[in-house]
Amino acid sequence: MSDTPQILSVDDSAIIRRIVKNTADLLGFGLLEAGNGQEALDVLKANTGNVNLILLDWNMPVMDGPTTLKNLKESADTANIPVMMLTTEGAKSNIIEAIRGGAKQYLTKPFTPEDLSTRILQCVEMDDF
Amino acid sequence: MTATQAQALDAKMVNAISSSVMEVLSSMANTNVTLKSVNARTDYTPIGDISAIIGIMGESGEGMVGLCFNSPLAKMMVARLLGIEPADLSDDDCCDGIGELVNMISGRSKTALSENTGQPFRMSLPTIIKGKGHEIASRPKNTPYLLMFFDAEGQEFVLQVSFKFSN
Repeated sequence: MSDTPQILSVDDSAIIRRIVKNTADLLGFGLLEAGNGQEALDVLKANTGNVNLILLDWNMPVMDGPTTLKNLKESADTANIPVMMLTTEGAKSNIIEAIRGGAKQYLTKPFTPEDLSTRILQCVEMDDF
Repeated sequence: MTATQAQALDAKMVNAISSSVMEVLSSMANTNVTLKSVNARTDYTPIGDISAIIGIMGESGEGMVGLCFNSPLAKMMVARLLGIEPADLSDDDCCDGIGELVNMISGRSKTALSENTGQPFRMSLPTIIKGKGHEIASRPKNTPYLLMFFDAEGQEFVLQVSFKFSN
């Protein structure tokens, strides 16, 4: 198990993953990356017990965010990893669906680096480390 | 749809899109943007080095939004988005970054427009066009269009909106 807390950024945009990496670096987190939900499940399988937070986009090819969230919450290995949605989908119905599905936070794009840092820290509850 | 209803929707669309442009570029690309003017014109075709086109579809009709930037401005905004110097930005990263910024503008506009009008709207993924001095000429025929001229820290970019209302 890694000593450095790890974030898994799940987004089909490499640009967004780079922005997340900038923030993760500043906060002292490591970063794992996946371009869609299926890749995320594969990354988690290869890093069991080693991911502290998942940032999850909504619209992605292969497996979208809501389907990924459902899979994460149905698996004993991943059900307790906090998930923050990070998406352009800002409708109230989307937010309610995600929170009911088990997401801990919901941040809509656009966001400032301060928004992202604050939400990440709220999600992972730094006292745990 | 009556002419008055169409005009009201037009105004809501302009407000939703222009607010989204300013919000996204300010928060993500740390760029101060102001709307300089809005004109309904038929004699001007935006010319730029990199453009993004988004389709808009709703119960009341369909149309498109085009954003047209010159290369130095596009590079400046994407470099700020990534926290690097413009000189260190590759052409591919510049295109990806503009695509992501416009994707956010599209998503934000869709949410605002749907909430303001009470109608669901859908927006396509952005198509990016790259090439020095290209023109955005395609739009639904016989459809009036609006041009919004923005200032981004001394550099101009143009947003073109056309929407054909269904009967």
